[in-house]
Amino acid sequence: MNQLALSPFVESQLAALPDSGIAWLDAARREQLAAFAEAGLPGTRMEAWKYTGLRALGQRRFATGDAQAAAREVDVSAFALPGVDGPRLVFVNGAFRADLSALDSLPQGVELRPLSQALREDAEPLRFLLSRHEPEQGDAFVRLNAALADDGVLLKVAAGAKPAAPVHLLFLGAPAEGDVAWHLRHLIELGEGAELSLVEHHAASGEQRHLGTACADIVLRDGAVLHHAIFQDAAEGASLIRRSKLQLGARAAATLHVLELGGALVRHDLQAELVGDGAHFTTRGVFKVHGRQHVDTQLAIRHRALHTASDSIWRGVADQRGRGVFRGAILVAPGADGSDANLGNKNLLLSDQAEIDTKPELEIYADEVKAAHGATVGQLDERSLFYLRSRGIPLPEARALLTAAFCRAVLDDLPNTALREHLAGLLTV
Amino acid sequence: MSSETTASTNTALRDNAEVAEALGRHYSAGFVTEIEMTGLPPGLDEETIRQLSAIKREPEWMTEWRLKAYRHWLGMPQPDWAKLKMDAIDYQAISYYAAPKKKPKSLDEVDPALLETYEKLGVPLHERAALAGVAVDAVFDSVSVGTTFRKQLAEAGVIFCSMSEAIREHPELVQQYLGSVVPPGDNFFAALNSAVFSDGSFVFIPKGVRCPMELSTYFRINAQNTGQFERTLIIAEEGAHVSYLEGCTAPKRDENQLHAAVVELVALERAQIKYSTVQNWYPGDENGVGGIYNLVTKRGDCRGDDSKISWTQVETGSAITWKYPSVVLRGDRSVGEFHSVALTHHFQQADTGTKMIHIGKDTKSKIVSKGISAGKSNNSYRGLVKVEKGASGARNYTSCDSLLIGKQCGAHTFPYMEVKNPTAIVEHEATTSKISDDQMFYCRSRGIREEDAVSMIVDGFCKQVFRELPMEFAVEAKKLLEVSLEGAVG
Repeated sequence: MNQLALSPFVESQLAALPDSGIAWLDAARREQLAAFAEAGLPGTRMEAWKYTGLRALGQRRFATGDAQAAAREVDVSAFALPGVDGPRLVFVNGAFRADLSALDSLPQGVELRPLSQALREDAEPLRFLLSRHEPEQGDAFVRLNAALADDGVLLKVAAGAKPAAPVHLLFLGAPAEGDVAWHLRHLIELGEGAELSLVEHHAASGEQRHLGTACADIVLRDGAVLHHAIFQDAAEGASLIRRSKLQLGARAAATLHVLELGGALVRHDLQAELVGDGAHFTTRGVFKVHGRQHVDTQLAIRHRALHTASDSIWRGVADQRGRGVFRGAILVAPGADGSDANLGNKNLLLSDQAEIDTKPELEIYADEVKAAHGATVGQLDERSLFYLRSRGIPLPEARALLTAAFCRAVLDDLPNTALREHLAGLLTV
Repeated sequence: MSSETTASTNTALRDNAEVAEALGRHYSAGFVTEIEMTGLPPGLDEETIRQLSAIKREPEWMTEWRLKAYRHWLGMPQPDWAKLKMDAIDYQAISYYAAPKKKPKSLDEVDPALLETYEKLGVPLHERAALAGVAVDAVFDSVSVGTTFRKQLAEAGVIFCSMSEAIREHPELVQQYLGSVVPPGDNFFAALNSAVFSDGSFVFIPKGVRCPMELSTYFRINAQNTGQFERTLIIAEEGAHVSYLEGCTAPKRDENQLHAAVVELVALERAQIKYSTVQNWYPGDENGVGGIYNLVTKRGDCRGDDSKISWTQVETGSAITWKYPSVVLRGDRSVGEFHSVALTHHFQQADTGTKMIHIGKDTKSKIVSKGISAGKSNNSYRGLVKVEKGASGARNYTSCDSLLIGKQCGAHTFPYMEVKNPTAIVEHEATTSKISDDQMFYCRSRGIREEDAVSMIVDGFCKQVFRELPMEFAVEAKKLLEVSLEGAVG
């Protein structure tokens, strides 16, 4: 046990093991909780958490789940996104809200419902996914999530189905009587040749200091295509710890656009396993931190099959006392010949109290490979600033303009035009 | 017609024979000099350290310094974060002191067998020193046996001697600087070295002096079961310049031999230190048996403003290479450089790179790393560029390229960038690829043999680093890569 093992945080989470009435699920949950309690929160000596200290979080207590979640007043229309008009699934403080969701007219071949409902109806098909163990080092939150998550999103697209309208997943934090912790587990599967546009949206309906954890397993069968936009604009005091794991079959293609704008402590482990020949993975992401925000993105792309390709462009901006952390790891496994991997991470450091820590990694075990990465940390180009100022634009505006342009690059190839313009607008402020 | 055929067959046969010979990649420096050794029995405790210190006739403060480091070491766990597969080291099975029995007073008295060893290694002390104008402080296992050109250096005010001698003759300098860059408790292997270091080189360049020649040390690990723990300390006072060359070969052994050295460089105002290494220790055989464990702490401290420290290394030997020659850029406008070629073959493993810690204003650092992996080896670059809050105007440029030769090797890059100053510019770029088919085709179509083509391309790949080496070393390094890469293709 390490020093943090008995921290108030861990203690506060041990109390609330959900009871599903499903023997195998409850057994798996107990096991995961015991493992979490034993290991506690990871310390900064652990490589994966080197730049994200959890000491402060470890000292806090959270109630598990918000008992009043179903009654919280939320104006869901305030969170509508242009260009995103398909089915909608809404969670408030970790609880599914049927009254706010729009699930009436699901397109052909799309199964979309809360996990809790699926478990009640027939848990057996989910058994494999929910009881398997992934004892990766340092994933205390994956264990905690496995133990305590009793809801989430279950989304399946049948083979060949290509619903036109994007699916909107909305996770809202709302003020509650105390600090609440909620845990969600998402299972998303695209059948062979299916195509889906998905928007994952984290937002705040009022100021609060909740903790949310989310683990998503996203499986793309052969030839499936996923456009996934993640827009995180959580409350200023919120802590949000997520892991998204994608698995790409042969010729499958996933494109992710990620915007990390809100939250106090934000961590996202984004892992892609390219297991099928010819799989293609693209990420575009930006994190902007100010105030005392801490945003940590851990991107890991693993090429495990022939002729797979990955292309990642990430931008970071740190202002005031913010801290941005980025790790972009590329693994090319033995035999994964023909892999083509590219990763770029550029960062702007705008204040002398801010900090950027970046760590691009290459781990290559095959020789028919093209792999490259680059990372920079710097500031706005003096000449560009001078150019704008010489044309009468005041310094603060010139700075904002250049910063927005710097971030915007990651949205350039977002196919949903209306959504792209909306998100680009948010980057300007 | 028929004679032509015969001729080409002969050429083919000869080529085959060359390839077959190259495939064996015999370690040309793999021999053992038979000299009677006296030393301490294997084992390590406080008594061993006291004995070691007594044999070396060290003053009381030195013994205490060692003991303190030893006590610290006892409480430290061996680190395991590197990307290395390593058998556990039994520190009690190592003999911590070995020395040639005869103590020569000058080169003439040096054991002929020993001189022959150097001869085989290509370090004929007299001739080479005379021809190349290089003063050689050759370390044969744990005791310095000969130092040349001392007089000429002394006239310039330069002190170049063994560490043992420096402890006896220049205690005030040693006390002031030893452990000031790499403290005894810095890390596991540095602590071990501080406790049991056997010998090494001591260089002191006084204020304003430009060292009249390049200084060089040839290290050899000889006696079986003897870990060699060198300790090198180089001090360049205000405005002083020095270029230091370190080269290593070790005889063939089947057992893993531990080498945990510490090198400390101190550059005061406007001083410049250039430290070059060609490391060709026994890498183990083609099945991964034997070979040296090279676990080294090397660090330079740009203590004064406008100082400069530059590391250049060519690493082709050792079963395991684990080291990060670093520069602490404390003085304003100080400059740190790191140029490295690391080649691994067969079952060799390397986890090497550098750290550049920017503390002073307008400090600059440049990192150029070239990794070449062949056979079943693994080669990692691991580097840290850290810009502290006060280091305004800091600038770093890092470029890491890896070349893969063969299907079963690995090449990895782990750069860390930590920036806390908004006026700093830090850049990193890395690529990994194999030798391009186009380049190979071009060479082959012009009648260049595959091996020669590979060697040419690799040489070009490394040119940026070789350029930084002193001339003699550059030639040696190029040859070394050629020899090391033979058998890697075809």
